[in-house]
Amino acid sequence: MKMYFKISLVFASLLVSLAALQLSAQDWVHTGTNLGNDRIRIAAADFKPVGGDPQTPALKATFDTTLYNDLANAGIFDLVSKSLSPQSTPGSPQEINLGQWSDAPASAAMVAFGSFSSVSGRLVVYGWLDDAHNTANPQVLGKQYNEVATDDMARTVAHRFADEIILRLGGGINGIAETKIYFVSSRTGSKEIWAMDYDGQNQHAITHLGSISLSPRISPDNTRLAFASLGREGWSIRMFSLELNRLVAFPAGVAGGSNLSPAWSADGSKIAFSSSRTGDPEIWAADAGGGNLRRLTTFRGPDVSPTWNPRTNAQLAWVSGRTGLPQIYTMDLDGGNIQRITDGGYAVSPSWSPNGQLLAFSWNRKYGPGDPGGVDIHVIDIASKNYLQLTHESGSNDFPSWAPDGRHLVFERAIGGHTEIWTMLADGTQQHQLTHTGNNFMPNWSLK
Amino acid sequence: MNTLANGQRYEEAQLERALDREPFAAPATGSLVLHGVLFGGLLYYGILAGLFHHNLWGNPGSGGAIQVTLVSNAIPLPSEQQNQNVLMTETPSKAPAPPEPKAKQEVDETAIPISGKEVKPQKQNTPKTQPHQPQPKQDNRAQFGEQSGSVLPRATMSQNTASNGPVSITNGDFGSRFGWYVEVIKRKVSQNWNRYEVDSRTAKGATAEIYFRVNRQGNPSNFKVNTASGSPTLDQSCLRATQRVDTFGALPRDSNDQWLDVTYDCTY
Repeated sequence: MKMYFKISLVFASLLVSLAALQLSAQDWVHTGTNLGNDRIRIAAADFKPVGGDPQTPALKATFDTTLYNDLANAGIFDLVSKSLSPQSTPGSPQEINLGQWSDAPASAAMVAFGSFSSVSGRLVVYGWLDDAHNTANPQVLGKQYNEVATDDMARTVAHRFADEIILRLGGGINGIAETKIYFVSSRTGSKEIWAMDYDGQNQHAITHLGSISLSPRISPDNTRLAFASLGREGWSIRMFSLELNRLVAFPAGVAGGSNLSPAWSADGSKIAFSSSRTGDPEIWAADAGGGNLRRLTTFRGPDVSPTWNPRTNAQLAWVSGRTGLPQIYTMDLDGGNIQRITDGGYAVSPSWSPNGQLLAFSWNRKYGPGDPGGVDIHVIDIASKNYLQLTHESGSNDFPSWAPDGRHLVFERAIGGHTEIWTMLADGTQQHQLTHTGNNFMPNWSLK
Repeated sequence: MNTLANGQRYEEAQLERALDREPFAAPATGSLVLHGVLFGGLLYYGILAGLFHHNLWGNPGSGGAIQVTLVSNAIPLPSEQQNQNVLMTETPSKAPAPPEPKAKQEVDETAIPISGKEVKPQKQNTPKTQPHQPQPKQDNRAQFGEQSGSVLPRATMSQNTASNGPVSITNGDFGSRFGWYVEVIKRKVSQNWNRYEVDSRTAKGATAEIYFRVNRQGNPSNFKVNTASGSPTLDQSCLRATQRVDTFGALPRDSNDQWLDVTYDCTY
């Protein structure tokens, strides 16, 4: 039997009561699994407009659209399409008729609804999430937001409400609606570091160096951005403070040779990068402030593109060319316990999943003359070495980066001379193009 | 003398009979007539039947070949199914006739009782209550050949004591109040269960039951195999699936439970 996650059969959910004498002590549930995972069928009702402020309809449209898209992109929901939803716009738990939503054609298991008003330049949003099949205790979530009435804030509030829903129903994993994606763009003529929301909105430049900047990596606390940049000293690792909005010093990344592909440790205290200051590109690590530099690899052949295990913070995966073509390896921070992960082809750009179990990377499994293969994103289970190809016959795909929820990946795809940023679920479905202007490369998903 | 004369006369009669010619004409005539009739009949049939029936074998022309028309597959051929029941016989013995009802001993009500003879007291036909017999625990129940119950949907059941329970308000009704949270547990463990870790020789339908506790913050702990499936690899894979989960998310705010005990089935 193989581990195919087919959507179909059947799970057991059986409640058993416990000893009844202790009030509010504990409870007991019995559940189980057989095959696959069914997604949660959820409906996002249009919010009820309250008040007659002329700003309200436009802001509400932004809010409704953003909330709907966030839930659709979450990867855990089967979203009821608007055409199947009831026409009603319940504004409060007293106004909703759950039967309308739980019955066909909507057949929703969960309903998100609420009211939306704009009063005196303030957005006031009440949002609820109800279990449509549980009429006795339907409420799963209730939230209230009061923010400045702008289009951006309407989107932000929708993101926050969507993230709350995803947090509850997704099993304690935060949603990604408020995360950012950093990437390289050449749309202004030089390759600069840019940022955008996770859904491709709000794209803006971070650096204006007029040079070539590559490999942006955002710190776990979202305050600093490390990247490689070509300057008078050659390729060096540079640091940009998002709080100060300017470059800050990172002395360890400047000294001779080419310094490339920085990677933050999970706690944000260290940075690993590749440096050829001793001749051969090797993996080096330094404190986030630039001190305490030390060399981690001493192998013949290039060693580049480190990525930390975010779960243990004690392992690195990187690309090594010691056997000829580049392959993915893992090792402990002290240089021991080296394991080769890929068994051939041309494997580059590893990115370690948030749960520490998977590596995403770009792999041309049939690299070589006369046997051209595609450059595709793959995910490999480190323990079992089972891998899954996520992209198929659609351009050249490289530089995958995990979203903090472990369900999404962002990557670059080159088709016909144009390189753009795409996202997809970690099973290869729901691929969306995020950028459409100029050429865009090397995306990196923020950790929160 | 007399005997000798008799014997001589007998021999003479035998000799005379042997030398005498048998009658020939009548049987020969009969035979000729019979053959003539047979020959005439055959000739007549050959001429007459030849007018209507021609032998077409090997002749050119339509209809010379055998035409086969396929009929449907459902030709009602006799079934050759063999009964797999080895205990079944083709010559079943006759069922024994039902026993005849016992003839009741007739009691002569008018008879005078014999003095000194004890009369048996008549049995009182009082209905007896069936003594309680506990159902035997079917630990050795076969896993195979039965209807695959594990694939049938089971509804969430709860023992809700909230409405009229004298003691507990929330005890035992977590599943009915927060069914969505039970779904979260089910989904997350299921996502982390790698079926390829299970030995392929494991019987289909085998089930391992894992126990763990979820604290208020949603973190699982105290993992153990509650009921082994008989396949160590299935038990371990199910145990690892639960251990891979960092959190199920905080218990619902409306729940007053400090922790939640969970038993989880992994059915192969």
